[in-house]
Amino acid sequence: MLTSYGDPFARLQQELERMLSSFEGPFAGAYPPLNVFDAGEEVVIKAELPGVDPAKLDVEVRDNTVTIKGERTFDTPEEKAAFHRRERLDGEFRRVIRLPARLESAEAKAEYKHGVLTVRIPKAKEARPRRLQVEAA
Amino acid sequence: MAHDIEAKPKQKVDRPDESTRPGLFFQPAVDILETPAELVVLTDMPGVTPEGLNVRLEGDVLTIDGQPKSDEYDGLKPLHVEYNVGGFHRRFTLGETVDRDAIKAELRNGVLRLRLPKAERAKARRIEVLSS
Repeated sequence: MLTSYGDPFARLQQELERMLSSFEGPFAGAYPPLNVFDAGEEVVIKAELPGVDPAKLDVEVRDNTVTIKGERTFDTPEEKAAFHRRERLDGEFRRVIRLPARLESAEAKAEYKHGVLTVRIPKAKEARPRRLQVEAA
Repeated sequence: MAHDIEAKPKQKVDRPDESTRPGLFFQPAVDILETPAELVVLTDMPGVTPEGLNVRLEGDVLTIDGQPKSDEYDGLKPLHVEYNVGGFHRRFTLGETVDRDAIKAELRNGVLRLRLPKAERAKARRIEVLSS
């Protein structure tokens, strides 16, 4: 990779853009779009789910399969309101994703913050990167 | 009633003029509602924190900018990618005169809820139109 200046977030955006443009998966239209990251000892899944009631968000991890499902509902204003624009999506959603690594599903954690769902699942011991001691011969 | 959501790809927009940060900006999905008393603008801005939010009303032009907290991504190497991340930028011309001192903004679960009460003059004018 070429040396790139600027902040790490801009570099991440370039990397995501490069991977997106080479990606024509069967997931177009599937909601929510998911990003999966390798964080060394764990796998991190992120999904943008703004405005979802955390009580209506369900995350299940089993073996190497993660299921994210829920419902996005909007409060109807009490007063009679006319819509000038209505672009935000509501309804039910369900995504199932298989992860490439063996996982410790019992230790998975899910967090919903600022409208972003983050699921962190530790890799199984044998799937984690190991640092080998190099012995001088 | 229950139906499945179909995702729409995020639309990139040009960088807002006053941006001091590099990086991508997307057009957020909005709902705009009007009641007799106010305009309500709901904007999906996942990842944006109150510190990263900038809402301005200049004349009748409403500008909404938001930046996510980028350190959420420190040390993460993408394996599978279905969307890009970045800021949000959108600009509207309001058709109503708004009482700018009474504007309320609330950011919750990645959704910005702006309440823009109509100015007294605009309310009176609206009543006239309805009765003619």
